[in-house]
Amino acid sequence: MSILYDEGQQAIAREARRVLDARVDKARLLSLLERTGEFDQSFWKTAIEQGWTALALPEAHGGLGLGLVELGIVAQATGAATAGAPFLTTNYGASEALLMTEDAATEAHWLPMLAAGEAIGTIAISEGNEPLPHSIAVKYADGALIGTKPAVTAGLQADFAVVLAADGSKPILALAELRNVTRTPIDSFDNSRNYADLTFAATPATLLAEGNAALCIAREALTRMAVVAAHEQLGGAEALMFLARDYANERKAFGQPIGAFQSVKHRITELYGLVEIARANCIHAAAKLGHDDFLIAAAAARLSATEAYDTAARDCIQIHGGAGVTWDSGLHLHMRRARSLAIECGNMFGWEDVLAVELIGAAA
Amino acid sequence: MSDLDAYRLKARAWLESMKPTFGKHACHGLPEDEHLAMGRRYQSAKFDAGYAGITWDPAVGGQGLSPLHKMVFEEEEMPFAMPSGYFGVSLGISVPVVMRFAEDRTWARERGIAALRGEEIWCQLFSEPSGGSDLAGLRTKAEPDGNGWKLNGQKLWTTYAQHSDYGVIIARNDPTVAKHKGLTFFWLDMKSPGVTVRPFRLAAGDAHVNEVFFDDVKLTDGQRLSPVGGGFGTAIATLAIERYSASDPAGFGPPLDLFIALAKDCMIGGRPAIEDGRIRSVIARIHSLRAGLESINTRAMLAMAAGMEPGPEGALNKLVSVRSRQKLSELAIDLMANLGLGWDRDGWLKDDWVASWLSAPTMRIAGGADEMLLNTIAERILGLPQDHRPDKGVPFNEIPV
Repeated sequence: MSILYDEGQQAIAREARRVLDARVDKARLLSLLERTGEFDQSFWKTAIEQGWTALALPEAHGGLGLGLVELGIVAQATGAATAGAPFLTTNYGASEALLMTEDAATEAHWLPMLAAGEAIGTIAISEGNEPLPHSIAVKYADGALIGTKPAVTAGLQADFAVVLAADGSKPILALAELRNVTRTPIDSFDNSRNYADLTFAATPATLLAEGNAALCIAREALTRMAVVAAHEQLGGAEALMFLARDYANERKAFGQPIGAFQSVKHRITELYGLVEIARANCIHAAAKLGHDDFLIAAAAARLSATEAYDTAARDCIQIHGGAGVTWDSGLHLHMRRARSLAIECGNMFGWEDVLAVELIGAAA
Repeated sequence: MSDLDAYRLKARAWLESMKPTFGKHACHGLPEDEHLAMGRRYQSAKFDAGYAGITWDPAVGGQGLSPLHKMVFEEEEMPFAMPSGYFGVSLGISVPVVMRFAEDRTWARERGIAALRGEEIWCQLFSEPSGGSDLAGLRTKAEPDGNGWKLNGQKLWTTYAQHSDYGVIIARNDPTVAKHKGLTFFWLDMKSPGVTVRPFRLAAGDAHVNEVFFDDVKLTDGQRLSPVGGGFGTAIATLAIERYSASDPAGFGPPLDLFIALAKDCMIGGRPAIEDGRIRSVIARIHSLRAGLESINTRAMLAMAAGMEPGPEGALNKLVSVRSRQKLSELAIDLMANLGLGWDRDGWLKDDWVASWLSAPTMRIAGGADEMLLNTIAERILGLPQDHRPDKGVPFNEIPV
C-alpha cells in the first residue's frame, strides 16, 4: 500500500514549510552547536503553537487524532529546516509506547501534557551501541530502576522516559520521571539534540509491560520513531538537493554555470534519485503502520533516507566548493544532522540487519 | 473489489490458461522462426481475447480502456515469459504513429488490425551509425524525386527489422538548416527495392537488432507522415506515445527472492553465504531501492486512477532498476563462483543471472542511455542548464565532423 497525500495533508505540508521558512534562523542554529544543554526555544514554541505536539495523539487526550503520515509530513519540514530540537520525534516514541501498553492511568496523566506542549517525553531503550540491546544492563527491582542508559535523545530536557530494563532475566518497560535522575550531557557534534546519559539510582518507575510484550513494544516504538526520523532525513536531503541545484545554476566558472558541467549536473540528478526513492519508501512506511510488514517498510525507509541525507550532505558541500566548507555557510548543520538522525532510532548497520533478517525469513 | 482488480484477476486467469501453449517452457529452446510463429499465434490469441490494443480505439480493433488497464495486463504478463517481444515497438510506437498521422485512414485502420493480430510487424528506423542519443544528428537523406522521395543512407540498432513488413523512418531532407529543422518523417514498405536488412549479434549472443541500408529507395509523397522539415516534432510525439508502460523494479532481471534463495545454497569461507554480512547488506540495499521504485509506481497508478498526471519521478525507473539488475547479476554470478560459469543461450532474463548480466549493458543504452536520462531529469525536472552544444543553431552541413 502506498498513498497520495490528500488535500488536508498537502495543506499541512505547505503550512509547516511556510512557518518554518519564515522563522528558521541559521545564526541561532549555529550558535547552538557550541552550547550543550540548550535547544531552539523559538522552534519549540512554534511547534506547540502550530499544534504539531498534538498532531498524532488521540482526541481523547487532547490530541488532533491524526497519525504517522501527518507527523511524517511535519517532520519533512523540520528536517529541511534542521530544526533545533528533537522533541516531536521523542514525544511520538514515548506516547506510542504508552498507547501500546494500554496503561490508562499513565496515558491520562502524560498524553494531555504532551499534546499541550507542557511536557517532553523520550524513550530510553538502547545500550552500548545496540539500538535494541541483546542483554539489558539497566535493572528493575522493587518498583525502581538502577543503571545507565547512554546518549538518550532529548535526555537533558525530557520530563519522563519509557525505559527498557531487566527484572531478573525478564525484560520490562517502565515509565520513569526524570526529575531526580542524573543527566550527564554529551557534548555532541549536533548539540541541540540534547543527548544525555541517564543514570538511574533506585529511581521509582511505573511498570508498563513485561516479558515478550515489553520487547515487542520497545521495538515497535523505536520503529515508529524511526519512520518519523526517516521523514526528517528526507526533508533534509531534499533541501540540500535544491540548495545544490540553485547554487549550480547561479555560480559560474570557465564561462558557464557549473551546473552545465555533467560532473556537477549528474551528481545533483543522482541526488534527485536518492531523494525520490527515500520519499516513496517513507510514504509507504507511514501508510503501513499497523500492518504485518510495517517493520520491513520502516527499515527500507530508514536505509534509503539515511543514504539520501548522508549523500546529499557530502555532495551538496562538494558542489559548493570552498563556499560550502565555511562555518557560516551552515551546510555543516545538515551534515551533522544527517549523521545524528542516522544514529538516533537505530543506526544504518542495525537497520540493514533488521531488514535482512525479515527478508531472509520471509523468503524461507 | 475495484474494476481494475477484477480486470487483473481475469487477465491472470487468461494468462494461466495460455501458459501451457505459449509460456516459458513451451518456448524454451525454439529456433527463431518457430519462436516468431509462436509469437504470432500468441498475439492472435491476445487479439481474440481482447488483450491486444488495450488502450486503442475500438474502431481500429482496440479495447478503448485506460493506460492503467494496459499496465495491469503488462504486469501480469511479465512473469509468464510469453513470446510478445516481437510486437513491442510495432504496437507501442510505429503503428500508433501511422494511425495518427497517415492520410489514408482506411489503409491505416487495416494496418492497425493486422498488426494487433500479429500478422504484420512494424519497426522504427531512428538510430544511425553516427549517433543514437543525438537523434537529430542523423544522416540518412530523403531527396525529392519526381512527385515523391528517394532515400539513401543507413540505420542501425533497428529492433526486429528482419521480421518487419513496414517501418517508420526519419530522414534528412535539408542539410542547409539547423539539424532539428531539416528532418521529415515517412513510413515505408520494408520489401521495397533498395532496402537491405542485415541482423547483427549483440554481446549476449542474440540478434534482434539490425543494420538497414537504403539505396535509392523510392517513396511516394503519400508516405510522408510529417510536414516537410517537421519530422523531429513527429519523432518526439512518437516517443511520447509509449509514456505509460509497465515498469519492473527488478529492471526486467531476476527478483531479489532468487538472490536470497541462491545465497541460502552457497557457502563463503566455510559458512553459509546467507549469514555473511556483505550478502545481507546487498539484500537490504537492493530491497530498499526496489521497494522505493515499487512505491513510485504504485503512486503513479493511483494518480492516474484519480485522473491526475503521475509525478515526474517515474523517469527514474529505467535508470535505477537496470543499474541494480546489472550489479545484482554480477554479484549472483560471483556468489555461484565455479558453478556460475555456464551459459544457457536461451536463458530467460527474469530467472537466469548470466542472461540478465550479459544483456544488462544493452538495457542501459537502449531507449535512452543512462547519461541521456540523467540529462533529461536534470534539465526538465530540476531546471539545470543544458550541456554546451557547439552544433546548436548551426546549419547541419556546417557542423564539423
